[in-house]
Amino acid sequence: MSPKLEFTLLRLWHAALAGGFVVAYVTADEDTYRMHVFAGYWVLGALASRLLLALAGSEAGPLRLRRPSLSFGKPGRNPLFAWMAALLLPALALGAVSGIIADGIPKAEDLHEGLAQAGLWLVIAHAATIAWIFQGRRIREFLSGAALIAAVLAAGPAQAGDPARDAILAAYAKEAGQPFSAARGEALYRSKNTASPDFASCATCHTNDPAARGQHAKTGRVIEPVAVSANPKRFTDAAKVEERFTRDCQTVLGRACSALEKGDYVTFLAAK
Amino acid sequence: MKKFALAFCLAASPALADFAPPITDPVTLKACGECHMAFQPSFLPARSWDKMMANPADHFGDNATMAPDKAAQIRKVLMDGAADTNGGRMGSKVMKRQAAGATPLRITETAWFQRKHDLPERVWKRPGVVTKSNCVACHPAAEKGIYEDD
Repeated sequence: MSPKLEFTLLRLWHAALAGGFVVAYVTADEDTYRMHVFAGYWVLGALASRLLLALAGSEAGPLRLRRPSLSFGKPGRNPLFAWMAALLLPALALGAVSGIIADGIPKAEDLHEGLAQAGLWLVIAHAATIAWIFQGRRIREFLSGAALIAAVLAAGPAQAGDPARDAILAAYAKEAGQPFSAARGEALYRSKNTASPDFASCATCHTNDPAARGQHAKTGRVIEPVAVSANPKRFTDAAKVEERFTRDCQTVLGRACSALEKGDYVTFLAAK
Repeated sequence: MKKFALAFCLAASPALADFAPPITDPVTLKACGECHMAFQPSFLPARSWDKMMANPADHFGDNATMAPDKAAQIRKVLMDGAADTNGGRMGSKVMKRQAAGATPLRITETAWFQRKHDLPERVWKRPGVVTKSNCVACHPAAEKGIYEDD
């Protein structure tokens, strides 16, 4: 399981558990008894599913339930996470199970109420601890991500032509003295070369689909799409375009690129 | 109650992340960040950055050729924020573990890095990690200089 999927499952599970708990808490009156019982079983089911999720989670992933330790300050997940899980899961389970007992033996109702109340305080302490650990970072990251998406949506679809890109192409055209071909550009993009064992082709890092995100073969750095359709800012900064051709032609082809090759390449990716 | 709050703070304090001041110069940020994360300069001494920026055409075997004035600007930014110049707390932690006069070129070969990353081999083999220098694979906020452990 990928860490991203594990975190998503962990969030969904928190939603299921918290939802069940809140419903149980507000329906504790006699007149909403059936809903209360249902929510109680829901909470118990959610707690059981947490154990199954822990079995399905990867070795060092967030779904794992680790034995609490005192190894503060060492690399790895903060040990407080393990302590919270070890405290909260049994405490909430006790609350739910005592509810089932109280359903049969009314004398146990006080015990159930006490345990449920204690569970609520534990949940509040849990939320406070999480807030302390992340100090709003996760929320800020989420908000800045949302703001970015909104900005992209507001910007609307990419423009077809860009004056800066046209100027770059015009300069290469003047030097090359003949028209460019997207087909030749594509052949160059996909060509396999022997100059560098790590970087055999443009597609090594930019992938076979230029509209997809790439990844630097050595550093693992994400590379934004090189196709203009997916990344309208491509080939609009002349100095940067030259810098990249200088480096990457030398690396991948073992030589400098001609103006014709540069023009073909840009033409291919501007249409892609 | 006060005592309790204090105990709570003490228990939670290891959760506070290591912080390295990120690069603010836009030219440096963009140039470094194009191929790899723009590593915070406080992870290496100034002499290391000086040596590294002396020959961008051979940047760990890769070609990072750039205009000479741009290289000079980046060199200055990195040297000004280095572990032994303005690297702050992170810088002094790095320097403390460094053999005097050593000029490490890779952050991953500094004694400080190796001490903090004594992890089993399988962790480095995780998909998306690719190389030990890919900080963001495990520290999602590394670009902002925040290195938390979770």
